[in-house]
Amino acid sequence: MTADSLGTTERQLIRRAADGDARAIRSLYDRYAPRVYAVVRRIAGDDDLAQDYAQEAWIRAIRALPTFRGDSRFSTWIHRIAVNAALQALRKSETRRKREGPAPVDVPIAPAHKDSLLQKRLEGALDGLPEGMRRVLILHDVEGYTHEEIGDALGVTAGTSKSQLFKARAKMRVMLVGLDGAAQEHGAEAWSI
Amino acid sequence: MEHLSIEQLARLVDEEPTSAEADHLSGCVACSNEWEALREQTLGLGSLPDLVPPLGDWSVLEARLRSEGLVSDPGLIRRLGLAQTPAWMKAAAAVMLFLSGAGAGSMVTGGGLPGVHRGANPVASVEDAASAVRVAEQDYVTAVARYREVLARGGGEDSGSDPISRFAALEHLVMVSQAAVRQAPGDPFLNGFLASAMAERDAAFRMVSAKRDNWF
Repeated sequence: MTADSLGTTERQLIRRAADGDARAIRSLYDRYAPRVYAVVRRIAGDDDLAQDYAQEAWIRAIRALPTFRGDSRFSTWIHRIAVNAALQALRKSETRRKREGPAPVDVPIAPAHKDSLLQKRLEGALDGLPEGMRRVLILHDVEGYTHEEIGDALGVTAGTSKSQLFKARAKMRVMLVGLDGAAQEHGAEAWSI
Repeated sequence: MEHLSIEQLARLVDEEPTSAEADHLSGCVACSNEWEALREQTLGLGSLPDLVPPLGDWSVLEARLRSEGLVSDPGLIRRLGLAQTPAWMKAAAAVMLFLSGAGAGSMVTGGGLPGVHRGANPVASVEDAASAVRVAEQDYVTAVARYREVLARGGGEDSGSDPISRFAALEHLVMVSQAAVRQAPGDPFLNGFLASAMAERDAAFRMVSAKRDNWF
């Protein structure tokens, strides 16, 4: 079992946090904030939205802490909450956007900067994907969800999730090739999608 | 030779190729390289690191947790043994602190009373605000302690039990708090103190009234 510098087990920490102990909540935050922020940031594709979603996820988690029974690991539990919070928030904003008017025509593409770090290139390309594709790609390839789980989370069939995933991978590949400027070398011009 | 589509190749990252696809892949360098690139891309996505939240994220979250009543941190007041301080006295100290320009509310909102020296620089970021709140908390505790000291010197430590002097002090406190709230109407700290002061004043008034003979 995980223990912090004071020897407090995670279970004790969770119990104290459920009672509203600010220091216990802070300890949990320090441990899991990067995980929570990473998943919502990638789903949101935007720093400001990500911060809002992460906050919402934490508020929900702290509210729900008294119901956490420890059947799953805390990291898994809060990760699910974060994913759901981000997806729900995005759905809300989509609904609002639809009501307010047509969606923007172009999805912003990551700036074509040369960066030797694969991670940065991947993050940049993720941000440039259309929302639907990005969600599926993140949940499957980054977060390791199954297509059935993604279907449940997004309200689509597993088949739709699969087809979106393959499209997302393909689009991302094209974007990365574009960033590299190496499309011709690998014959990528043969695959237009 | 017709290449496999990029979506087909993306599928083959997870799934077994059909015999036709396998035949093509074994004979087509371009498709084979592209498949390998897609596989690496997928592996890369699976090993993306966690991301550090922006600075000040905890401070914003903490404030929200407190505003929603999800935190019951005893805070410095209890930790330093000042929990028994009457609420009206804490409120008095807080308002005095605000008027001196060091109150958290005045710093966060940028409000404050005109002509009053402000003990802090304007807040530039959430981090600064959080830091200001921490400093203000410490100042507040000190102010409460000083206020108690002053009352004790004036024979008023137990003045909480003297309804008339207490009522007078609270009446004054309410007036000062109202003036402060007019200057910073959106300040949650000041509004809380004002409400607390009014409740205490009303309670003191009821005590004073109870000790008098009814004229009717």
